[in-house]
Amino acid sequence: MSAPTDSTDRSRPLLELRHVSTDIALRKGTVHALADINLEVQAGQVLGVVGESGSGKTMTALSVMGLLPAGGSVVGGEILFDGRDLRSLPPEEVRRIRGVEMGMVFQDPFTSLNPTMRIGAQVAEPLRVHQGVGKAAARDQAIEILRRVGMPRPDKIVDDYPHQLSGGMRQRVVIAMALVCSPRLLIADEPTTALDVTTQRQILDLIDDLRDEFGMALVLVTHDLGVIASRADRVAVMYAGRVVETAATADLFRAPRHRYTEALMQSLPEAADHDTGAKGRLYSIPGLPPDLSRPPTGCRFAPRCRFATAECRTTEVVLSTGDHQHACLHPVTVPAPAPISLRPGPAVVPTPAPALGVREPGERAPKAPAILSIRGLVKNYEAAGGALRRATGQVSAVAGVSFEVHPGETLGLVGESGCGKSTVGRLAVGLEVPTEGQIVLDGTDIATLDRRERRLMRRQVQLMFQDSYAAMNPRMRVDAILAEPLQIQHVGDASARRARVTTLLDQVGLSRRVLERYPHEFSGGQLQRLGLARSLALQPRLIVGDEPVSALDVSIQAQVLNLMRDLQHELGLAYVFISHDLSVVDYMSDRIGVMYLGKLVEVGPAHEVVRSARHPYTQALIDAVPSVDPNAVTRRTDTTIRGELPSALSPPSGCRFRTRCPLATETCATTEPPLTGDVHQVACHFPLRVESAEAARA
Amino acid sequence: MTTSADMTGTPGERAEQPPDADDAPVRGLWRQGVEVFCEDRLALVGVAIFLLLAGVCFLGPLFYHTDQVHTDLAAVFLSPGAPGHPLGTDGVGYDQLGRLMLGGQTSIIVGLAAGVLATAVGTVWGAVAGFVGGWVDAAMMRVVDAMMAIPSLFLFMLMATIVTPTVPMLILIIGAFAWLGPARLVRGEALTLRAREYIQAMRSMGGTGGRAVRRHIVPNAIGTVIVNATFQVADAILYVAYLSFLGLGVPPPAANWGGMLADGLADTYSGHWWLLYPPGIAIILIVLACNFIGGGLRDAFEVRLRRR
Amino acid sequence: MVRYLTMRLGQALIVVVLVTVITFVILHVLPGGAARATLGKDATLDQLAAFNHDMGYDQSLVRQYFLYVGRLLHGDLGYSYQLNQSVTEAIGQRLPKTMLLSLLSTLLAVVVAIPLGVIQAVRRNRWPDYTITSLSLLAYATPIFFLGLMMIILFSQVWPILPAEAPQGFTLGEVLSDPAGLILPTITLAIVTIAVYSRYVRSSMIDNLNENYVRTARSKGMPEWRVVLVHTLRNGLFPVITLLGMYLPALFSGALVVESLFNFPGMGRLFWQSALKRDFPILLGVTLIISVATVLGTLVADLLYAAVDPRVRLRGRAS
Repeated sequence: MSAPTDSTDRSRPLLELRHVSTDIALRKGTVHALADINLEVQAGQVLGVVGESGSGKTMTALSVMGLLPAGGSVVGGEILFDGRDLRSLPPEEVRRIRGVEMGMVFQDPFTSLNPTMRIGAQVAEPLRVHQGVGKAAARDQAIEILRRVGMPRPDKIVDDYPHQLSGGMRQRVVIAMALVCSPRLLIADEPTTALDVTTQRQILDLIDDLRDEFGMALVLVTHDLGVIASRADRVAVMYAGRVVETAATADLFRAPRHRYTEALMQSLPEAADHDTGAKGRLYSIPGLPPDLSRPPTGCRFAPRCRFATAECRTTEVVLSTGDHQHACLHPVTVPAPAPISLRPGPAVVPTPAPALGVREPGERAPKAPAILSIRGLVKNYEAAGGALRRATGQVSAVAGVSFEVHPGETLGLVGESGCGKSTVGRLAVGLEVPTEGQIVLDGTDIATLDRRERRLMRRQVQLMFQDSYAAMNPRMRVDAILAEPLQIQHVGDASARRARVTTLLDQVGLSRRVLERYPHEFSGGQLQRLGLARSLALQPRLIVGDEPVSALDVSIQAQVLNLMRDLQHELGLAYVFISHDLSVVDYMSDRIGVMYLGKLVEVGPAHEVVRSARHPYTQALIDAVPSVDPNAVTRRTDTTIRGELPSALSPPSGCRFRTRCPLATETCATTEPPLTGDVHQVACHFPLRVESAEAARA
Repeated sequence: MTTSADMTGTPGERAEQPPDADDAPVRGLWRQGVEVFCEDRLALVGVAIFLLLAGVCFLGPLFYHTDQVHTDLAAVFLSPGAPGHPLGTDGVGYDQLGRLMLGGQTSIIVGLAAGVLATAVGTVWGAVAGFVGGWVDAAMMRVVDAMMAIPSLFLFMLMATIVTPTVPMLILIIGAFAWLGPARLVRGEALTLRAREYIQAMRSMGGTGGRAVRRHIVPNAIGTVIVNATFQVADAILYVAYLSFLGLGVPPPAANWGGMLADGLADTYSGHWWLLYPPGIAIILIVLACNFIGGGLRDAFEVRLRRR
Repeated sequence: MVRYLTMRLGQALIVVVLVTVITFVILHVLPGGAARATLGKDATLDQLAAFNHDMGYDQSLVRQYFLYVGRLLHGDLGYSYQLNQSVTEAIGQRLPKTMLLSLLSTLLAVVVAIPLGVIQAVRRNRWPDYTITSLSLLAYATPIFFLGLMMIILFSQVWPILPAEAPQGFTLGEVLSDPAGLILPTITLAIVTIAVYSRYVRSSMIDNLNENYVRTARSKGMPEWRVVLVHTLRNGLFPVITLLGMYLPALFSGALVVESLFNFPGMGRLFWQSALKRDFPILLGVTLIISVATVLGTLVADLLYAAVDPRVRLRGRAS
């Protein structure tokens, strides 16, 4: 056995990866997914593995678990679990270790449970198979572990099937399943990425609690620096199949050394200067990660690095030694000047936001007439079913929402899935017809227009999709895609349209050579640029962006956000920016509207809503967002909301949030609170920070 | 209008690298599809078999002259290799090789024409049902369900007892009932495509339903339809064979492979194997070829949309 | 579930009604009309007129249709003057035998195709998969009567162990008393079915093996046999249940050919012989009965699927 016998159990890491390399064989060529990975996890420790898509973080987890996808194999190095190399142990033993000593939680709770097996059977299965526990005893243990992961009525849930549970509940089941044999190591691969932020908070807290309770080590794989900062003891940053930096969490966030880590942190919307209200540009890493079927020589980040020299491109850089290790020839010099280096220094923001875009908050709003004014908007969907398609009920997607958007401003709409924010966006662009209420575009109620006029009116408002690939006909070339809105609206002749298309490409920073290409040839960030270009084609005054950066990595997200802001300043565009991500909305918006279950519960200037929220739901949302500041106390305030989103088929009476609100009283159940206030409006009987709000008014 | 020259911000940052496929040559979707198809060896084998069989059947008679109208009772059941009859003769003295060519013409023509007819009718029916939706869709699909509930061979035979099964009639009969499958397929495709985000994007720009059909739905559904057509051709060839076996095929002196095979069955016990195996193998080959081509086409239509 | 049940029953009823409309229409487009088709070409004009009057064929079309349906509901499918027997009786004698043949070959096909499909999925793109795939494609491309003939040549001529003709018994019991004669027809009909089913099981299993829940099962350290047989197989086989229903029309078409080839005294052979004799009352009666059997079979398969798959069974019943 290759295990080092000289080290004692105490100092020996529970999990150690030595020079691990993993390849994925594809039909054409091989992707070298991991190259020379070295990692250690001590017993009871939390190691955060962070990186963007394609960095190899998930492949690392799957390599340890021996769950690589078809064609994947660990081609070199050692994976030592408690000193024993998993690669040289007999398969039976590896299987036992995987089942008993290790546990794994996956990203997507909606697909990671067997849909036709009862919850109890799935949770108890490892006990039955690995420990030979009898049927009844295994069931009791399954109920017990389900109780410990916070499942309500676990004795009933064991007999349910996965589709009867919500996403958050399913993820609890997956966690229970991973923990049922009391493993010593839990690997969680993006355990909360598919969940809403308040559910994410619940799940992360649960994992924290269970880790203490079970005394197990945790490898937390995520793209989210915030999640890592608040939960990990140590962090490993991965890029293009390599570990580029590893350090204690506080050290890493206080003083990142590798230029990639530094750039990544500067790309975060939170890194933008908040206090002035005039938020600066984000640093965005140019270009794309390398193609790992042909990995570049030297530092893999060099082609995108501002500080790269010729040496970087030729020298293979290995991790330095010590507690804070990095693989960079030109590391950030220590000590960092600021205690938290998230705020970009002058060198990072080369140009401040252009002067014409800088507006003091509150200064401009009421002056120009609104470009979009929504009044009492209601949208109900029929929940149809039955042989005769009788309506069996109504889903109340949007329930009386009113707001205005003024020229040149950005209104952010934030809320969790199912809150109706996307429906509002689709109503605004005319993709859906409202059940009730008015949509007034540029002073004209669009319900009063005939078909032709309405089509012309569409030019004013355009939609930008979350997934531009899905929103583009895969069989059309870029030139046809970008010219389509012009054709539909009969703008110009063929040559004028061609000219317009090239102008659009210039505006979004894409080469004119892409005209003959098809959507599948582009990366995610490029597709969002194309999507933006298409929505700009008709020179609209308002663009509704429905989660326009949610599918992108942080560094690519920064590119697109910068572009959107630049174009806003150049063209005087207004945006309705819809997102579940509060920090992105905060960065982009002048004003923010918070939605819950079809209602607008709070709306006001961005900095006020985020920094002095008045609705308990808004506050809960803010508290749930993991902070990248490792020193920030993860508060479990009384605004932490519990429970599940009620069904929109039968929304709660009165205030719709009352079923989850820590402050709710009987009044909340009987009377619906109206949206009140002047600039900063809130719909709550018991708003927070009443004193400060009154003080401000006085 | 602004141009790239007066853009604010740092041009270096905004101008992202073009797609890294940029060094790859620009290729049209057709080119890519053809390349994928050509990589599929089975599909190429299918094309080769199909072309070979069709070539022999349609061009062969130009070089290999036989009398397929007048019987020659002096030369019945000649074994293969008999002078002038490399594949022998049948029970009424027709040259077997020449007859195979003639029969192949019928089989291939009926197969192709019935397959295309079925696909065309089915596509229109399914497309209308899928686009119009609502009770029209429900009514149209119940009709399809009802006709599908009648096993097709029973329907074909019923029809063949009512009308005389000449070649055009066979095409009409098979085409008139084989469209149900394509109709269901196209309806499903229309329903999926109608819900695609690019259709919504187009509608949000003010585009009409007609444009959605012309520019977006038809180009995206055409692949599925073409692939299905190849399978329809294969099925039609088999149906002709079944009808012939059941005694309701084209009457002599016309011939088709199925009928020859059915006739050959009667001769099995007398050892006239050359009357049985050649048409049998010919049918298997042409049906296999159609299925191979269909499979290759399916990959070609799918793969060229695969994202990197 | 209850809603699904009523909806599915309603659909089946509509389809059956439409099938009667189709047979009714065919009856009327027959050369010389229904009377000529029933009585044959030797009937006199007076006989035709009398028949038309008796059957109500001199009334309005709508009324004729309701009379037609009314007779159907009383089990009156017409009378075959060629067999000198009522259609109901003629079919009644043969239907059980066709059902027996179909059932046996479906059972055989399911029993063989599931393991084949599973092996293909587990060993995909390796030699077992390629071999079975090639054989399936070959079976699918072979006319079923040619296949049957090959079986006859192989097993009753070259290696004479099985009779080439099906049992000729009049009742189901008599047919069953000669099981050896059932083997070749059953296998012949099953081979094509196996080809179709195994392709389907293969792709369904491959889809499921790529699902995340399979990875979860592996992460729990489950042995591979358990991953395949306990976790994946159940999910992979659910859609096969619906396929059993969807495949019925093709199965009955195949039975028509097989019965004719092996001289099996079922409904298919009856249909074939009647087609050659242009005995239209029998032809239409068989068509109607076989279609109703198809609708019922499909309905049973769908309901079975709904009953076993918890996602359908418990739809809309959240905890």
